[in-house]
Amino acid sequence: MEPARFDELDKPWRKWASIIIGGGLAFSVLMGFLVIPVVQGYGAGIDPWTAICRAVGIAEGAPSMRQPTSDAQAKPTTNVAWSTDLLRALANTSGPGADIAQSCAACHGERGIASDPQNPSLAGQSAVAIYKQLNDYKSGSRVHEIMTGIAQALENDQMIAAAAHFAARTRWAVDSTTAQVRDPDVVRLVERGDPARGLPACNSCHGFSAGGPIETPTLSHQNKEYLARQLRAFKNGSRRNDIYTRMRSVSERLTEREIDKLAEFYATTLSY
Amino acid sequence: MTHVRGLTLAHMWVAFGAFAVACVLGVWQMWARSPLPAPFLTANAYFTSVTAHGVSMAYVLTTFLVMGFGYYVAETALARPLPLRRFAWFAFGLGIFGAAMTTLTILGGTATVLFTFYPPLTAHPAFYIGLVLVVVASWIWCGIMLTAMIGWKRANPGKPVPLAMFATVANAVMWLWTTVGVAAELLFQVIPASFGWNLGIDVGLSRTLFSWTLHAIVYFWLVPAYIAFYTMAPQAAGGRLYSDTMGRLTFILFLIYSLPVGMHHLFMDPQQSNAFKFLQMSFTALVAAPTLLTVFTITASMEIAGRLRGGRGLFGWIWALPWERPMVLATGLAFFMLWFGGGGGLINMSYGMNAMIHNTSWVTAHFHLIFGGTVVIMYFAIAYAIWPTLTGRAPVSLRAQRVQIWLWFVGMMVMTLPWHYLGLQGQWRRVATFNYADPLIASWGPWVIVSFVGGIVLLASAVLFIWNLLEFHRARAVAADLLRPLYATAVHPPERVPAALNGFALWNVLVLVLMIAAYGYPIAQFFFIDAPEAIVHRVDGRG
Repeated sequence: MEPARFDELDKPWRKWASIIIGGGLAFSVLMGFLVIPVVQGYGAGIDPWTAICRAVGIAEGAPSMRQPTSDAQAKPTTNVAWSTDLLRALANTSGPGADIAQSCAACHGERGIASDPQNPSLAGQSAVAIYKQLNDYKSGSRVHEIMTGIAQALENDQMIAAAAHFAARTRWAVDSTTAQVRDPDVVRLVERGDPARGLPACNSCHGFSAGGPIETPTLSHQNKEYLARQLRAFKNGSRRNDIYTRMRSVSERLTEREIDKLAEFYATTLSY
Repeated sequence: MTHVRGLTLAHMWVAFGAFAVACVLGVWQMWARSPLPAPFLTANAYFTSVTAHGVSMAYVLTTFLVMGFGYYVAETALARPLPLRRFAWFAFGLGIFGAAMTTLTILGGTATVLFTFYPPLTAHPAFYIGLVLVVVASWIWCGIMLTAMIGWKRANPGKPVPLAMFATVANAVMWLWTTVGVAAELLFQVIPASFGWNLGIDVGLSRTLFSWTLHAIVYFWLVPAYIAFYTMAPQAAGGRLYSDTMGRLTFILFLIYSLPVGMHHLFMDPQQSNAFKFLQMSFTALVAAPTLLTVFTITASMEIAGRLRGGRGLFGWIWALPWERPMVLATGLAFFMLWFGGGGGLINMSYGMNAMIHNTSWVTAHFHLIFGGTVVIMYFAIAYAIWPTLTGRAPVSLRAQRVQIWLWFVGMMVMTLPWHYLGLQGQWRRVATFNYADPLIASWGPWVIVSFVGGIVLLASAVLFIWNLLEFHRARAVAADLLRPLYATAVHPPERVPAALNGFALWNVLVLVLMIAAYGYPIAQFFFIDAPEAIVHRVDGRG
């Protein structure tokens, strides 16, 4: 075949394919960028130019409705808002945390193991988890006769440094030789929850590779008394620094026996 | 017997091996979601299983099958040896290595992020790197397919590339465009985060980039089925392809309109604006065109076959078709499922109606019906058609093959129709267990059990399929001349076609224009709008 004739054969294809596909594009742009937003905006009392800008995405809001306004005042459960800068700061263990952490050791133990079961052990907690609680004490989201005063005396940088230091120092302090007793009902609560009562599995947040919020504390080897007291505090509403009332709604569905069993389970278990 | 016999068999066996394992997991997942007490059920086990099921079905089965089938078509349709065979084996090894890396992270419980990743969830780096290696292997395949077609065109100037090969190369070209989105997401966002180099990830951008890939990848899986419709089914039915040009147009339209449409997965997402969603919705509507062209052309081809076999009247030709042949049977059942799956898809792609079914089981049911049903049933038919030419052996009776195809069809319908209904009832997807003590959810229970039964039928079909493939290796040898030619001739065999229907230069330019219009600003905005980043959430226990 001669190349010239072949080219003749191809020409209308190039032309009409471009016209049809370009036409489809032009039609969609005309409808999506102009006609529909202008008509929708007209119905919602929005001027055409604003409606088009909103449709394209260079102005905020939808072209089909007015932006809702609200006078409601936010009452945050916590003042902690995670950002990459804050997380970077918490990962930095070379800060001046050692001095501040010295005063923590009196109650929480030199290596994060509290000798008095009234106080929580901090061993194994992440810097993120420790900082969240310190900040909540400072802001009043969580209240404790001793910790509130301590936290309020600290600047934000000092809380970050103390949390980072404490987390790094106590990471491997938990004794892995502790014996454990397993109650099948409790293991079931921990691993599967109880859907009939709307109870999620504990380890969906408190566990290895769990999907919960990053500030979720580790429960393994925590003091039994402390754990039980916190669950009861959530249950009766005296502790309320859990976002979306997660722990309050969980613990109000737990029986007293389950609270004790769960506290015992976590106090003697290392694998969660 | 083809030169690429070993290459094709290796790819196909990897594909179907992954498929068989994934079927077992799928049935267990349906069991887990049902009111019946399932063994080994924890949320972690469920999401590990869903991730393994999705990766096996969507990445391993499909990629290896498309590659293996592509090598086969390149050699048999072009009737010349496959070029660069060493590269093909290298790509195979690379793909296996990557798939193994990914599998290990999933089995280790460090990659419960599902096959669509969902950042800011972040798995072990090896999960993503393994998948990137599979994609790189498929890029090598694309290069080999293009080289094979270009070599053939040089040796046969002015002649039309055989339709099966034209379609395979259309798929390769489309795949090169398709993978740009997910590759950018993985290389610039997700993998750096998985190594801990980034603590935040712009989820709006990553979802937009993934949507670039997410629709066209489905057509990458689907093209082998369409190749079978156009080039194998009319032949198997004893007829001719009604129109070769319709076939070329179909594959070109898939290339053009599978790409600038992915935002229909983001209708409920806040990071994209109404106008761009509308634009991509209207392009999505045009994707129906190649499917309707195919339904018309293949039905016409089947009618030719039916009438040649003595069928009369308006519908009499349908009964005259040789339904005892697996390829014909699979094509008929695939079309049947295509009506339901396609109809459901029209609801998904409609900007307004999508709101009803977004994030419900409807969507999962839809893609199981359209991919697991229409497409995978054709994978079976392709396997049954090409295996005798690969092993030189064939079982005497085709009964077990027909039973397997029927079981798959029945299982898929029984599983997916109630599943669609559950989606309309509001049953959400990506959930491990339901609270059947709730009266509303309790009413879903019986339908989930029906779906589960459908899943068991599907598993039985999958086991029979593997058994049938093994039969091809055990059965008596068939004389080479008994192995019938595979590709259908057109009613009017093309002697010459315009360059536009014989290559992809023009269409690549048009794809570029549409992609700039559809994705240019939606992606660019992330670089000048100060969007908040999500905090990376690791699921692998690191950091």
